[in-house]
Amino acid sequence: MECKLIRPADLDEALAAREQYTHDALPIAGGQSLLVMMRNRLVAPAALIDLEPIEALRGVEVSSAGISIGAMNTCRQLIASPVLGEEVGVLPVAARQVSSTAVRNLGTIGGNVCHNEPGADLPPALLALNARAAVRRRANAREVPLAEFFTGYFETVLEPDEILCRIDIEHPPAGAAGVYLKHAISPEDLAMVGVAAVVVPDGKQTGGVAEVRIGIGGAAPVPLRAARTEAALKGAVLDAETARAAGETAATEVDPPSDPHAGADYRRKMVSVFVRRALLQAARQIEENGHGAA
Amino acid sequence: MALLELKVNGQEVRVEAPDTALLLDVLRERLALTGAKRGCETSHCGCCTVRVDGMAVHSCVVLAVRCEGKAIATVEGCGDGMELDRLQRLFLEHGAVQCGYCGPGMLMAAQALLEQNPAPTLDEVKKGLDGNLCRCTGYTPIFDAILAYGRGE
Ligand SMILES: Cc1cc2nc3c(=O)[nH]c(=O)nc-3n(C[C@H](O)[C@H](O)[C@H](O)COP(=O)(O)OP(=O)(O)OC[C@H]3O[C@@H](n4cnc5c(N)ncnc54)[C@H](O)[C@@H]3O)c2cc1C
Ligand code: FES
Ligand code: FES
Repeated sequence: MECKLIRPADLDEALAAREQYTHDALPIAGGQSLLVMMRNRLVAPAALIDLEPIEALRGVEVSSAGISIGAMNTCRQLIASPVLGEEVGVLPVAARQVSSTAVRNLGTIGGNVCHNEPGADLPPALLALNARAAVRRRANAREVPLAEFFTGYFETVLEPDEILCRIDIEHPPAGAAGVYLKHAISPEDLAMVGVAAVVVPDGKQTGGVAEVRIGIGGAAPVPLRAARTEAALKGAVLDAETARAAGETAATEVDPPSDPHAGADYRRKMVSVFVRRALLQAARQIEENGHGAA
Repeated sequence: MALLELKVNGQEVRVEAPDTALLLDVLRERLALTGAKRGCETSHCGCCTVRVDGMAVHSCVVLAVRCEGKAIATVEGCGDGMELDRLQRLFLEHGAVQCGYCGPGMLMAAQALLEQNPAPTLDEVKKGLDGNLCRCTGYTPIFDAILAYGRGE
């Protein structure tokens, strides 16, 4: 059966199409994952709803409330955005590590989080930035903290009549540093383990931290925040020993899969290694700059 | 079906294709431009790489309809059909083509890179070609050809 293409002129038309078709149609963003899924006969939608023409899903807006990133921004655009580099540097750093140049040229931030493929690079960074998903359906809107957005392998809270419109991030606290580290067999692969850390210095003593946020991908059915590790680091002084202990705590918070690329035990071990490294790199950034840039 | 108006290698063409036809299929099956190769068809190998408004993309995962109003460039646009262009000549001189299946994609990815960064370092070349696999050459001759281009050879 031929798949139809619906090209809505604006968000309202797209939401109307979403309501009309629900499970029978899928929105297409960059198409980098969806067209592969269709080609592999994993999904066979009767129609695609093209998100490209929709103005409301584009652009990066900065206000006193924070930074609002349209769902249709490509990894290429995230990398090239000076304001993202300044405000939430860990996001473009993660975007630079997504797959290949061609995929980064077209794959979008919205598609990356909605697809929720294990080992994707943007979710850990967005989790560590406390990002929220601005979601619309025809009748109403809702905002979902990203920590509650992912529900299982390739699954999210999105209902079949909804569209993810924007990713919203509050301005990180002054002096915060952000790091994203990816562990993969080849840099273009999905991460076996991806760790993002945002560290907020207490501004009093070297290594002293007011707050730490850690996002981990590839190591559980969903990308997650390492809540217990974060709690243990509140008010701590970040040195080699606290970073090592934090890594070990983080390894107890994940539930890694085993696949041909890596066994669960190995992934768990790598979580402890990469959480430690990420924390120490963030601490170094803070020390070197006198301040960081999350 | 949709009637697409595309601009390929500077030429306007009109072509009928299914609504959600892939750019690779339109180029190869409807326009008889077989330079872009069919490999994995899942965005992994890069032998289908073409440029759309200058950017390297894997044409197996691009909707053709999205390319209306944009400039599509394929390997057929290199040189003039009789003479190779400088990048193609350097590929030849450095032995960057063995079976040749990756070649058109490599050339298009390299063009996109060189346009943005006319004298790339080896690391930048590797990053620029990270979406393109070669099963024959071991990559070194390909990187050498692109580095030579950057040096103005
Ligand atoms: C070979 C290959 C390697 C890859 N490697 C990596 C990697 O290393 N790291 C990484 O992070 N990712 C990787 N990816 C995934 C890549 O980043 C995807 O392109 C991306 O995750 C999906 O973005 P997209 O814009 O192409 O979405 P699409 O493919 O268009 O859509 C993906 C899914 O999300 C839904 N969707 C998209 N946008 C919305 C929206 N706004 N609202 C509601 N639903 C929406 C679609 O319906 C579809 O189900 C890889 C992909 C490929 C093909
Ligand atoms: S055929 Fe398109 S990337 Fe392999
Ligand atoms: S020359 Fe054979 S794949 Fe590259």
